[in-house]
Amino acid sequence: MNITYIFVLIWLAYLISSGVLLFSRGFLLSRVSKTEVSSCRRLSNNPNDEYFLTTEVVHEIFKDVNASSNLCLPQKSKVIVIVVDALKYEFGIYKENHSEPLPFENKLGVLHELHQRTPDNARLMRFKADPPTTTLQRLKGLTTGSLPTFIDIGSNFASPEINEDNVIDQIVKSDLPVVFLGDSTWTDLYPRRFKRAYSYPSFDIFDLDSVDNQIMKHLPKELASDDWQVLIAHFLGVDHCGHKHGPMHAEMSRKLSEMNEIISFVVSQMDNETTLLVMGDHGMTATGDHGGDTDDETNALLFAYSKQHSFFGSDVGSDSKMLQQIDLVPTLSTILGVPIPYSNLGLINFNIVPNVPVPHLSKFQTLLLHSWQNAQQIYHYFYNYAMENKRTFNVEEMDKMETEFILLTHRVKSIYNEAAFKSFVGDLNAHLRNILNICREIWVKFDATQMSQGLLFTFLPIFFAFLLINNSRPSEFVEIFTPKEISYTYLLNFAAGVFGYRYYKNFSFKTEEHGIIFFTSLLSAVILVFFTLKHWSNIANNWANVRRFGHMPTRLLLFTTMGVFFSNSFIIQESKTLSYLLAAVILLLVYEVLKQSVRMDFRSRFKISHFIRSTAFRLILASVLAICFIRFAYTLFRCREEQGNCADFSSSSSAGFSIKKPASGKTYIMAVVIIVLYTTMTRLYLRSCGNLTGNSPNVLLARYGPTVASICAGGHILLANSAIKNIQRTHIDAMALVIYGLLLLQIIVVSVAPLMTFVLPPKNPNSIAVNGRDSIVPEIFKKMKRMYEGDDAERRYAIPVVYGLATVYSSIIITFGIFLAMTLIVLLEPRATVGLIVCMSVGAILLIVHGILRYRTATNFETCVQPTFTAVVGWFLLAHFCFFATSHQTTLSQIDWRAAFVGRTTGIGQSNFISGILVILNTFCGPIFFFCMFTLLSTETFSLFALFPNLIRSNSNRDSTPSTARNKVDATTALADISTAAVGFDMTRGELTLYEYEDVFLGATFKLASQLFMLQGLRIFCAMLACTIHCRHLMVWKIFAPRFIYEGLATFVSLPAIIVGYGLLLRINLAVDSLIKSINKVKTN
Amino acid sequence: MATRFDQQKTKHQLFHVSLSLATTLICMAYMQYRRNWAHLGSFGDSLIVPIVFTGELLKVVLARFYGRIEDGVLTTKQRQKKAAYFTPRELLGGLTLQFLCTLLYAFICIILGAPVLANYEQTFVLSLLLTLLTVSPTVFLLGGGGALQVCFCEKPEFVTKCEDTALDLFKYNALGGILGAWAGSAVAPLDWGRDWQLYPIPNVIGALLGSALGNIYACTHVLYATARVYISKKSA
Repeated sequence: MNITYIFVLIWLAYLISSGVLLFSRGFLLSRVSKTEVSSCRRLSNNPNDEYFLTTEVVHEIFKDVNASSNLCLPQKSKVIVIVVDALKYEFGIYKENHSEPLPFENKLGVLHELHQRTPDNARLMRFKADPPTTTLQRLKGLTTGSLPTFIDIGSNFASPEINEDNVIDQIVKSDLPVVFLGDSTWTDLYPRRFKRAYSYPSFDIFDLDSVDNQIMKHLPKELASDDWQVLIAHFLGVDHCGHKHGPMHAEMSRKLSEMNEIISFVVSQMDNETTLLVMGDHGMTATGDHGGDTDDETNALLFAYSKQHSFFGSDVGSDSKMLQQIDLVPTLSTILGVPIPYSNLGLINFNIVPNVPVPHLSKFQTLLLHSWQNAQQIYHYFYNYAMENKRTFNVEEMDKMETEFILLTHRVKSIYNEAAFKSFVGDLNAHLRNILNICREIWVKFDATQMSQGLLFTFLPIFFAFLLINNSRPSEFVEIFTPKEISYTYLLNFAAGVFGYRYYKNFSFKTEEHGIIFFTSLLSAVILVFFTLKHWSNIANNWANVRRFGHMPTRLLLFTTMGVFFSNSFIIQESKTLSYLLAAVILLLVYEVLKQSVRMDFRSRFKISHFIRSTAFRLILASVLAICFIRFAYTLFRCREEQGNCADFSSSSSAGFSIKKPASGKTYIMAVVIIVLYTTMTRLYLRSCGNLTGNSPNVLLARYGPTVASICAGGHILLANSAIKNIQRTHIDAMALVIYGLLLLQIIVVSVAPLMTFVLPPKNPNSIAVNGRDSIVPEIFKKMKRMYEGDDAERRYAIPVVYGLATVYSSIIITFGIFLAMTLIVLLEPRATVGLIVCMSVGAILLIVHGILRYRTATNFETCVQPTFTAVVGWFLLAHFCFFATSHQTTLSQIDWRAAFVGRTTGIGQSNFISGILVILNTFCGPIFFFCMFTLLSTETFSLFALFPNLIRSNSNRDSTPSTARNKVDATTALADISTAAVGFDMTRGELTLYEYEDVFLGATFKLASQLFMLQGLRIFCAMLACTIHCRHLMVWKIFAPRFIYEGLATFVSLPAIIVGYGLLLRINLAVDSLIKSINKVKTN
Repeated sequence: MATRFDQQKTKHQLFHVSLSLATTLICMAYMQYRRNWAHLGSFGDSLIVPIVFTGELLKVVLARFYGRIEDGVLTTKQRQKKAAYFTPRELLGGLTLQFLCTLLYAFICIILGAPVLANYEQTFVLSLLLTLLTVSPTVFLLGGGGALQVCFCEKPEFVTKCEDTALDLFKYNALGGILGAWAGSAVAPLDWGRDWQLYPIPNVIGALLGSALGNIYACTHVLYATARVYISKKSA
């Protein structure tokens, strides 16, 4: 059964991806989140409480400050936190005498005004975020006070709820009611914590106002009520405006002015016992996006204001210009008098703590108590962490830190005046910052076991599968992978998985997954070795026949492609490197064809006119066109920050014009025109193949579907980006939905009745109507005759005429490709759409050139159906080149999130799962499309020669013997003989030949699929190896790790895409089988 | 191979190789002398193109020199060809061919990623150099029509034995030059910040080194053959 191949592919895909997964666990996971919670004795001003603050108590405390751990001083004030998403530091600076302010400048006047009027009661500071600067990560950082990890894989996957100790939990535990308004991310992180929560989804990033308007509706009422101690409002408009329009747009000035009004309103409404904190969670780049670690993105704004109590000055050792975001947690805890969360690493910044006197305590005593509580908490956390995770910290360094801290504990006892306090607090802060820095370094610590095992388990299957599959002949796979053996393999793997799940602890693995992956991979490697050894004689035989230094240039190119991962400069310029190599592959292919043909075409004398008419010249033109396309794609590349003069990242403070992608009307029109061209071309192709005749479901769909889809795609591009305001979003969405629907319909039709052929009913036997345009139909006619009838002239009336039989495989694959492409197009932005179609045309040229080359070099069917190594590498490179041609870059801040909202803004299926799939489809459109279509490499040779039978003649003179030269004189009927003489079978029959040699064909495509598996596996292996080698490189988090993440995701996406492509082929084969059988049955009746 | 070893041919090959190595060395010495490599891409300010031109011309002269010896044993076709060498038609054809080739190389440079119009002078110099390394020697030796025929057809009858030797060497020269220029781009993305990473300096140097390497490769062939003949003679 051929379905076995699919299972083998799934097995291999599992092995490769599990290795990658294991590696990423070791490489990307960094911090173990602790679930301990801090608590404290609450000193109170109320005489009825347990710890009433009296002079005696104070005396007791200061007798031994060290022993007085876990103390909380009384609450200083209520707090209003206004989070304005993406409020950049520059937005809040007021430039006086600025005649022409930019859209984001001088809009938050109230901050400036308050700061001018009461400099002691207002603070305007830089609010430094740690990357990654995405809202979810930032909120975690802002509430737990710990460092974010590169990708925050918490201990629970299922829900985003934070299980680490955090300031919200501490506030709630201290019976201080919290009211929340705004972004629903908060309520996802902290369900059931708030007294009242008005949360609204942050789903639609095109919607600038609705969340803010809802907040404004409830805010006055909440400000007036006095049953809360903490009020949090999270406004999304500015961030959404940045994503949609960028900071330089007039909408931004409107949103910022709105924020200004809101802040002044809150200031006017708040009472004297309240501290107002206005903050941004992160900044934005000049294009309005965020996620990375540039200064633009990490510098947010913090504004603090208190009506009555002035803040502590900056003379107590706190930085007055800049606040680290992790410092917010201890500071907030100090203001509210709650314990500092357990895993906090930040320091209290007294610049924004209102100076509310505590009875019986002098100012410096208050500050000392606060600082010391903070220090003890950090020390406690740090040493507990170090104890539990031994070997993560350097022993000598730990000793040094401990000595320092002990010195400080001695010093703290003897502080009796302000001067001593100041000097002490300076040293203390330096020490604590030191701890923070150590943690920062350590928490990018890698798990060496998982990394090395991940590398090993990716390498082993690739290596043995290469040995086994690459060195076996297509017809041998039926014997190698029998259904019985594969089912045993699955059973054994399952058993190994269960074993790993059950006993992972006995082997000191940390997680169940690790155990499962370890045992299944180990076992599978053994099974692969077993397969290899069992068929070793065959393998060795075939190996001996391989030329020793064959395909050297291609190997060199492949080697270079893989080498790119090891150098940061090449990764930065990867788009250009790839296109350079892709161009080289195309040139190489053409060179190989020319080497075969040109000398044959001009035996004695070179004639220009002859040359221009020859196939060789056309091939050269086609490949030059392909390279021109690749060169054109340069204009579509997105640049990254590390490349100099990148407009996407030019800093906004210089007068750079960096409006959100200016994408003028020209781009949109060009995109639409190209989409229409693409649809027309594919339609013409299918029609000339005779695949649009008749009325089978797939033919109907292919006849009308692409037209509808292209209209919708064009409309979507034009409307979604137009400046016209009053288009209902539902109408735009409907177009995208139509395209999604068509793809689904196509999938259903393909799985039910895929064939695009039309069997002409033999009603009027004497006059078989053949459309003159379909030039191949007579060929098919003859072919069918020869195949099933012999030359039985009297029964000729019974010959069935079938349209589109010569391209029976490829037509369906291409139709499927059209619908897939349309879906991708609607997800991509207009510029990228052009890139995708450019890549497709390069692919088409690659197929044509390769088809001719293959025919010339093939000696029999088996070689003819297996694409040359150069073409496989070319296809593979093209798939990855398409990633860059569609305006993507391998940086984390340049993910095109917009795709998640195409067709979904009105609230259909608001699940993150679908959003994720849409973004993945957008980002990896190249690999997905080209790996789904990979079988064309095998089939297109055949359909090409069926479509242009004359090529057979022009390419036939390979062995330049006089006999073939004489064939040129013969009539059309001799074409079949020429090809039979050349490759051993009748090429004019097109893809029907594939069915005749079914076993070889399916085996060859299986081999092709696994070759692509191996190429992709090799690529991700190189990416992983590069990360391992460079794991202490300066650029590891900026360049190598994102590159690895992208490549890993590409692997996870492309392996299934290849399997889908192969499954499609199997389904078609099944249908062709039943078609031929039914024709035969009709005939014999 | 060893049986039909030809003394004349070996001499020719060795001289040829030393000539091309000398050209490359002179180019390198010149570059070392000028220090600043930024001018390599400019047409008026760089001596690379004239040096290479002289080198290639000398190689053709060398081939002619060794060809003289065969003069007595030429076939009629070869004689005809020789007689037609200095006709205006051939000269014009040769020049046109070289000019077209330069344009073609410039076009290829651009579609392989060179700036479209910004660095046209540099592109021109690079394509001129490539033409000199690849097409020119053949054209100088056989004329325009002959070169086309050698490139695209089976081995024409008018090629003499000596010319054949030279053509074989020219082939390696050309192949090395093209591959070297292609591979030269490898240093362009590196972040070393050197001034010689600018287009087209690595490609120019790559082309020179590549053709030198191609020649050395051809030379190893000869040396190997020589050694084998020597050893077999000794043992016999």
